[in-house]
Amino acid sequence: MAVWQVALVLNLTLAVGLALGYAAWGRRAEALEREFGAARVQVERLERERAACAAGARAGEQQWEGRGVVRAIYPQLLVITHEEIRGLLPARTTSFRAASPALRDSIQVGSLRVGEAIRFSLRGTLADDAALVAVERW
Amino acid sequence: MRVLLLTALWVHLASSVLLMGAFFMLLLAGAPRASAARRWDAAVIAGSRVLVLLAIGSGIVWLLVRTALFESRAQAALDPRAVLRAVLDTWPGFVWLARHGVLLVLAAFLAIRPDVGERRNWIAARAEALLLAALALALVSASSHAAAITPGTRLAVAVDVAHLVGTGLWLGGLVALAFLLRAAGRDDDAEARAYAVRAARRFSRAALLVMIVLMASGVMNAIAQVESIAGLAGTTHGRLLLGKLALLVAILVLAAVNRARILPALSGPDAMRRLAAFVGLEAVLALVLLGLAAAMTLTTPARHGEPVWPLPLRLTLDTLLDVPATRWRALLGSQLAMAGVVALMVSFLLRRRRAPVCAGALALVAVGAGVGLPPFVVDAYPTTYRRPLVTYHAASIASGMATYHEHCAACHGATGAGDGTSTLRPLADLRSPPASRRHAGELFWLVSHGIPARGMPAFGRRLAERRRWDVINFIRLLGAADASRTIGRRVEPDRAWLVAPDFTVAVGPMAPGALRDYRGRRMVLVVLYTLPGSRARMTELARTYDVLWIMGVEVIAVPRHASPDAIAELGSSPPVLFPVVTDGNADIVATYGMFAPGPHAELLVDRQGYIRAIWEGATGGMPQAAAVQAQVEQLNEEKSPPPFPDDHVH
Repeated sequence: MAVWQVALVLNLTLAVGLALGYAAWGRRAEALEREFGAARVQVERLERERAACAAGARAGEQQWEGRGVVRAIYPQLLVITHEEIRGLLPARTTSFRAASPALRDSIQVGSLRVGEAIRFSLRGTLADDAALVAVERW
Repeated sequence: MRVLLLTALWVHLASSVLLMGAFFMLLLAGAPRASAARRWDAAVIAGSRVLVLLAIGSGIVWLLVRTALFESRAQAALDPRAVLRAVLDTWPGFVWLARHGVLLVLAAFLAIRPDVGERRNWIAARAEALLLAALALALVSASSHAAAITPGTRLAVAVDVAHLVGTGLWLGGLVALAFLLRAAGRDDDAEARAYAVRAARRFSRAALLVMIVLMASGVMNAIAQVESIAGLAGTTHGRLLLGKLALLVAILVLAAVNRARILPALSGPDAMRRLAAFVGLEAVLALVLLGLAAAMTLTTPARHGEPVWPLPLRLTLDTLLDVPATRWRALLGSQLAMAGVVALMVSFLLRRRRAPVCAGALALVAVGAGVGLPPFVVDAYPTTYRRPLVTYHAASIASGMATYHEHCAACHGATGAGDGTSTLRPLADLRSPPASRRHAGELFWLVSHGIPARGMPAFGRRLAERRRWDVINFIRLLGAADASRTIGRRVEPDRAWLVAPDFTVAVGPMAPGALRDYRGRRMVLVVLYTLPGSRARMTELARTYDVLWIMGVEVIAVPRHASPDAIAELGSSPPVLFPVVTDGNADIVATYGMFAPGPHAELLVDRQGYIRAIWEGATGGMPQAAAVQAQVEQLNEEKSPPPFPDDHVH
């Protein structure tokens, strides 16, 4: 084989090798990244579900923990400025309803006051139906 | 260890560059026919075999030393696991692997000795080697300083690749050419000489193009990595670059002499030898230049460095603004210098009397500079271009305020006006030019070392560095507060200049946020209030909060008297849902109180972080809801937002 042919074949091999390597490596890295993200979300969700089940919830429900400051107390709602609630909400001010009449009454009648710092637990399947199941002083 | 690293890197870079240039030069010269030219071709190939081994060897040494430095223990260089980690688990290691893979392929390609008698085979063999060498060299940029630039990584890397490949073509070609010229000068073979002359002329033309690319990419690299004159003159990286430039000028002068004088009159072996000597000198200088470049890659880029200004003076245009009389002088000086430059250009076009005209022109430039420049020269100190250690933050300003009142107010006055009680003559006003135009780093030097001639004491030993920067932040606030009196209750369209000092927003025991978190997202209405006087306005704010929120405004309420029960004190009907700062109020009140004294004040901060409207004072402190909303609407309609302010003062 003449040198120019050798050179041609060598370059083609290099180019194809580089392209294939990059494509395989890049796509695999991307796929792994996606897979990892999905797995992490699922683990977090299952973890919350397990916590909720342990606390006596129905299947499919999850439980979130949050910390914040009481801003307003309405008959049906408690408005809380809270830190990030992992897997549910970023840090902001949100209103939540109490899951049970007993808790609602204890919030209403109890010693909870505007401006107080609290820890709270939410239970539900989504942000829309997450309700307070426990409130205690921070 | 560092010297070994630098040496290995230099040898590696130099051999990679020479490899690439050798094949470029071979291709430029064309397939050799004369026996002397054939010998040169064979010598270059033999040399490149040595070079590729040298490149791989020095590359391995470089990797081992780097591993030892990386793990900060010398034994790591000989620990296979550590070396493997450095190669496989780091990006530079990965790039190293790819480059040495290419070099190995090149070595294998050079090891086989194919028959290149036919012209296209010769071209294919040399071009293939050039391609592989260029690839190995270009890959250096993948783990260079350029690859660390974000955003715009791709452009930076492309520019760096152009610079590297340009270096390979020019410097490597130069060395190969020097050898060819020497070989041709030694023989008394006319055909070989013709071949060498043709090669030199072709290289001269190509080098001009390559040099333009090199300079353009070098300037772009420098802008990205050095960023400022202070970085150029004040950091190791910048000074190495200056050294590189000085060498480059010397090389360019040599090249110009070659091109203009020697190259057109290449007749005998004597001229050939002279040219060979010149080109060899150029090549040696270029190799030194490459050493500086290698040292640059091992130093922190100037843009990340802390510049230490080397001169006792600097130039500034601020004088033009402060002293109107200097404008005439500057105008006169610049016109004289301009005339000098024009005359200089004319002198190059003249055939006769070039020298006297040239001298006159230079004298004119010098006189112009002498007349025009002195007003712009101001004192400078080593720390002039230092960046403050602490950000422009309420906590720092409040701490600086306390320090200022303790140590500075006696002479400079409580407001910085220079009317303190302990001095006989009034001092300069810290709040207005020229004092307020001084760089923060300059103030830092003056605070640290004092001004003995004027009786200003040095605080370098009495105050920790942080506290000195705190004082400087406070002095900046004094100036800003003084200037803020022109900011009224109405937003001035497209005039944002008063930077809102950052502060911590702490609500109860929750993780605190900061004012700057809202940048680019929301406007902020900072409300400093006192109960019970502000009760009515706070109730109104609570009621209209949802409207303000929809308009893009967050309200942050700061009680003038700190209280953990601040939220409860505001009451619950109507409910107050905006953040109420319950912790660290004193810093915020001290800082923002300078802009807006009085029991109740409101400041509107735009999305970029500038204060745009202030309602303050006993009567005007409480705006109507509609008044605030009108100003917010105006900010919402602004088309071209100013850039985000720097977190540090200047």
